[in-house]
Amino acid sequence: MKSITVKILITFALLVSTNVIAQEKLHIEGSTTVGPVADGFAEAFKSMYPDTAITVNKSGSGTGATALIDGRCDIATMSRFMKDTEFKDAVAKGVFPVAHAIAMDGICVVVHPSNPINALTTEQVRDIYIGKITNWKQLGGPDTQIVVISRDTESGTYDTFETFIMKSQKMASNVEYVNSNPQMFARVQSTSGAVGYVGFGFVKTGVKALTVNGVKPSVQTIISGQYSLSRPLYMFTNGYPKLGSMTHKFVTFHLTEKGQEVIEDKGFVALTNY
Amino acid sequence: MRITLDKFFTVLTGLAVMCMIAALFVILGPMIYRGLGAIFFRGTVEFRKMQLAEFEHGNIEKIKQEDIQTKQARQAVYNIIDKFRNGIDAEKLTDQAKQIDRTFGKELQLQDTERERYQELRGLSRDIRDKLIEAFSSTDIEQIKKHIDFVLRYESDERFRKTSAAQYFKLAHEFAQASEKIDFEKKDLYAGELNELEDIIVKLLGPDPNGNKPVLAQKRYGAARWDQAQKLMHELFWKEQWIEQENSKTLVRIETSRAEQFAGTELEPLFAYIKDNSKKMLNPQITFYWRYFLDDSTPGHYFGGIGPEILGTLFLTLLSMVFVIPFGVISAAYLTECSSEGPVIRVIRMCINTLAGVPSIVFGLFGMAFFVLFFIPFFGGPSQGCILAGSLTLAVLTLPVMIRSSEEAIRTVPQTYKEASLALGASKFVTFVKVTLPAALPGILTGIILSLSRVAGETAPILFTAGIAIGPVPDSIFQKTRTLSYGSWDMAVSDKLAAEVPHNQYGMVVTLVLLILCLNALAIMLRSRVFKKLKGH
Repeated sequence: MKSITVKILITFALLVSTNVIAQEKLHIEGSTTVGPVADGFAEAFKSMYPDTAITVNKSGSGTGATALIDGRCDIATMSRFMKDTEFKDAVAKGVFPVAHAIAMDGICVVVHPSNPINALTTEQVRDIYIGKITNWKQLGGPDTQIVVISRDTESGTYDTFETFIMKSQKMASNVEYVNSNPQMFARVQSTSGAVGYVGFGFVKTGVKALTVNGVKPSVQTIISGQYSLSRPLYMFTNGYPKLGSMTHKFVTFHLTEKGQEVIEDKGFVALTNY
Repeated sequence: MRITLDKFFTVLTGLAVMCMIAALFVILGPMIYRGLGAIFFRGTVEFRKMQLAEFEHGNIEKIKQEDIQTKQARQAVYNIIDKFRNGIDAEKLTDQAKQIDRTFGKELQLQDTERERYQELRGLSRDIRDKLIEAFSSTDIEQIKKHIDFVLRYESDERFRKTSAAQYFKLAHEFAQASEKIDFEKKDLYAGELNELEDIIVKLLGPDPNGNKPVLAQKRYGAARWDQAQKLMHELFWKEQWIEQENSKTLVRIETSRAEQFAGTELEPLFAYIKDNSKKMLNPQITFYWRYFLDDSTPGHYFGGIGPEILGTLFLTLLSMVFVIPFGVISAAYLTECSSEGPVIRVIRMCINTLAGVPSIVFGLFGMAFFVLFFIPFFGGPSQGCILAGSLTLAVLTLPVMIRSSEEAIRTVPQTYKEASLALGASKFVTFVKVTLPAALPGILTGIILSLSRVAGETAPILFTAGIAIGPVPDSIFQKTRTLSYGSWDMAVSDKLAAEVPHNQYGMVVTLVLLILCLNALAIMLRSRVFKKLKGH
């Protein structure tokens, strides 16, 4: 018994004493939406710059901003722009956040594929979410109750939806909240009367994306701004990173051909066109 | 009456236990079944190729041979698609025709052809090219025939023999052959459908072997598992559609056969071929992927195992035990042995009990505010989340459990033991260390088991203090780590990939459950040994 204890202790001692190998480190913290892009970039960097240790954490846009302000990360990934209070906090601590838009994302209003409705206007979507329209019958669909699903109010996706659709009107009390894009997808996929909204990458077999104000969400309509529910995804750094540094390479990787491929593979809309 | 009540009670308790066991099976059964899918499955050749390239496991020679064999079987698929594409993809064909013209021009220049002859041949080549391009973009079969006939008139021309211009005629023949079988009104429809079909084939057989290597590992291989392959093949053979129905406003799902859609075209044999040769193309074999517990993974946990996660969970759990055991036992000793009951002790006890009920996310935030931002930097450490900060936070989280159970354990040690020791002249401290503590050890170990399980499964406290979604395996306790609990959470909320690899998701969760089980079993074994020692000798 003693020998095991000793062994465990030695392992820990070794762990503590091992000198950290001199390698460049990059810590990325923030949004769960942008996280997969950071994952993909990190994967590409692993083969390109094997000496760099890149760590990615996904705890939400707000946490990312706080981490950047506290100096706990090199890059904060955010699916919304920084709020003015966050900017004030940052400047007070001598941190000057610089935004790098790395990709675009469209927020797609989705319904179950058995729903015959293909198009809605922003007003109609708003009426559904504030509880004015409660049955698909009122929109010319079947006689089923609408199950209204929204993202949690902390998420950047909710922020965008609120700005573009809700126009500061309050959501009805019977709206159901889910915590992530995958959950939203699963909920809508399994409920025939459901309506919800997900990022562009989550529009796949199982749900149907609606045309909003006569524009169907697609790569072209999102990048051109025709589809109104689109938003840029950001990486924030403290000041503009030093040219040639790993941070700089990371936040400009989306401009390269490989970066574009990663963004497209992860289901977002790239800003470049190789 | 009393007997019936007693019996009733026995039945009731028995039922409750049965219900619990049933619930356990209902919840754990399917989870374990699916989780085992991460280790036992039918792996295709793509899986072995992936293992070799990404993790350097496997027999190179064998896999190479397998690769060659499967490539041979796959060639037919690519051939059929190319043939069909020749009939409909005007853009690609036009590019090809232009390319032939350019190469031919260069060839003539290199051969130092006379000026006049060069001009004549170049002009002719351009004519042929333009006619071909016209034919490619035409939808009228008569027109196409006319253009193709014009081109083929030059086939026997001596001047084009054995030059790159001969390619024109090959192209023309292929196109003529393909266009005979195509309904030109459906050309656009076919083009769209073909793209869809090719996407599925890429997912099934991997990317085009002649194309660029994709950046992300998830795109580099075809279906690595036979169950995935079967699902994709179903998608390939059957197109899902939602159609309107009479007297109902909801749409109904139907599956139409793609083979029928492409009936009569060059593509039709593809479906039968894939159906008959799928095993030759993918070579599924029963795989026992024990390295799942050791391997690193590609981001999003698409491929690979959960080695770093297991290691990280173990580090965090054991390190937090190193902190919590001494503190817990010493606090318990103070509360039972050194202090007399009074208002202060009552307040302390109340605080401990309250602490036990605090939600874990509060500990997470506390851990970040105190350990990450203040405590560790205070001693010169980095102001970043790390294993040390995480395990300290977890230690605080389980401290109440540890104190309560140690306290109970110490209190159950018979007073006579202590009195005997004290009577022999031992000091209070020596009595505690030599007599009370060993006697209370089984109870303390129970506390350790309880806190161990809690610590290993917590996500919220390490979310801000130690956890990362991806990153290298840590080489010191001042680095962040991946853990099983955080990994499961990450898979569930962020990437759309996770839905495509449910076995990995279940695998991770089941491993976490099994890991806790193993740690518990270890502690229980330890406890029974201590018990035996106490009783026997």
